[in-house]
Amino acid sequence: MSPTSTSQVSADYFTYPHRRPGVDHTRYGHRYLRALPKFEWPNGKRLLVWVTVHLEHFPMDMPSKPITPAGGMDRPYPSVWDFSTRDYGNRVGIFRLMKVLDRHGVKASAAMNSEVAERYPFLTQEIMRRGWEVMAAGVDMGHLHHSQIGREAEQALVEKSFGTLRRLTGQAVEGWHSPAFSQSAVTPELVAGAGGKFIADWINDELPYAFATANGELTQLPLSHDLSDHKVLFQQNMAVEDYEQQVNAAFDVLQAESMERGGRILSLSLSPWIVAQPSRIKGLDRLLARFAAADGAAFVTGGELAAAWNSHGPKT
Amino acid sequence: MLREPFSYDYAPYQGRPKIEWPNGARVAFWVAPNIEFYELAPPPSPTRTVWYRPEPDILNYSMRDYGNRVGFHRMADVMAKYGVRGSVSLNVAVCDHFPEIIERCCELEWELFSHGVYNTRYLYNLSEDEQRKVIRDSRDTIKRASGQDLDGWLSPAISNGETTQDLLAEEGIKYTLDLFHDDQPMPVKVRRRQRLVSVPYMMECNDVPVLNFKNTPPERYLQIIKDHFDQLYEEGAESGTVMCVPLHPYLIGQPHRLAILDEALRYVTSHDKVWLATGREIAAWYEQNYYDRFAEWMKPFNATQEKV
Repeated sequence: MSPTSTSQVSADYFTYPHRRPGVDHTRYGHRYLRALPKFEWPNGKRLLVWVTVHLEHFPMDMPSKPITPAGGMDRPYPSVWDFSTRDYGNRVGIFRLMKVLDRHGVKASAAMNSEVAERYPFLTQEIMRRGWEVMAAGVDMGHLHHSQIGREAEQALVEKSFGTLRRLTGQAVEGWHSPAFSQSAVTPELVAGAGGKFIADWINDELPYAFATANGELTQLPLSHDLSDHKVLFQQNMAVEDYEQQVNAAFDVLQAESMERGGRILSLSLSPWIVAQPSRIKGLDRLLARFAAADGAAFVTGGELAAAWNSHGPKT
Repeated sequence: MLREPFSYDYAPYQGRPKIEWPNGARVAFWVAPNIEFYELAPPPSPTRTVWYRPEPDILNYSMRDYGNRVGFHRMADVMAKYGVRGSVSLNVAVCDHFPEIIERCCELEWELFSHGVYNTRYLYNLSEDEQRKVIRDSRDTIKRASGQDLDGWLSPAISNGETTQDLLAEEGIKYTLDLFHDDQPMPVKVRRRQRLVSVPYMMECNDVPVLNFKNTPPERYLQIIKDHFDQLYEEGAESGTVMCVPLHPYLIGQPHRLAILDEALRYVTSHDKVWLATGREIAAWYEQNYYDRFAEWMKPFNATQEKV
């Protein structure tokens, strides 16, 4: 038998157009976290804890292709099970979560599908009453941003999300999170074009950095994905004890680095339908109690974080 | 298609020639950090989709980019704390993209071996000449960046061709990590009978399958590493074993997992009969002292086996 070793690839398989110093695109320059000069956050703080609460709406008829977001409909249509399990977060989980966040004096960033604000005005009012920051997170979880939807359709989604949230909250709404961390090649341009100032979609760093778009520069913030309740408790199906252990371990490392090497950020990425289940909320409560009492730590919103970075972060 | 790799002969884990590591060590322990570059817009592969989502798959790209921005230095600091050198499974284009990473590896006296050019360029669907081109690029790039010879190989994204092991031997590679069939080094069977050694590269202790495919909690991962080590340390009293911990800075360098690496290395290095080795050192020791003995001893178990 002769081995099947004839070439089946095109010539460009052996050309490497971006093989040179730095990354292989022009969105940002390469940077080593460890090489950044030591700095402090405003008011002498070392470790900023950024709490983001995802307010998500999963339509029962949402598509599963080309991307099924975590929390998408897993079962055959009509999956009342999936729909109502997610919707639980917007009626029960969020109020349980708010109570815990209130107790520890946390003002969160609410990364909202605009559909949630439209469907649940009372919930939106409660977010506003607490002085939380509203970030635009697309329209709903059935409308993800990816390269197959086309620029015009995507622009309409971006504008609808920002427009609806600005109208219903009265806030400037300058932050953006792409649902399910999914961007097309032009999402950053569309966000900047719609008045966005910062995004939280790329998971390659633990400090903000400048992110280039054809419509001006954005600040990219380090929203946790690997340590989110979405990932740990839902996708990876771990116990809340394992979640608590990991968040505590992250805090330990970041706190030590913040003293030795300079300001750090711990991002808590929370979903009311996941972490605010009765069996899990106490774990979060314990974490927040620890962080609230920690020396040199402070809770911030995304906008505050972007401002703190731009005023106090090393200029690189 | 072949019905098996035809890269090795059968060798029962019983009655083998006794392996003695330097200084009476029971276990040759080595750590293999995978320092990788995944391209945002790679050329298509006829065999597999490269990314999981429509491109640009910024979630998965940026997750891996984290390793080169943040995770690498953190992981290297912990390894240096315990005097554990890395044997780097290197996408060699990293030498061109991030020369500072290679400089630090050299300062720490780590070994560099090849894991292909990019982790988004596979050996699938390549002719033998094209695979040779990848091997030679690796050899030249590592030499230029570090002055080191290329001795070891792990196929990029573990994408093997049917004759890859033959080509490695013909191109002067001394050890391969593509075979997961043993807890000791073994002779590799290649068509022109050069001496190529397989060194154990343990998927059971590799952070990608353990943490990402099997969704194992970090503390459980730590226990797996300790249990794995304890058993091999016990067996190593009879004949030397190898333990490998393959790592990826984008996973183990995360703040919520770093303590796992710290405790695992503290645990292993607290044992006195451990040889903290590199892949190259393990392969060379075996090749010089045991290759022939094993090859001879294995013959009766493979009397009817001929490469087709």
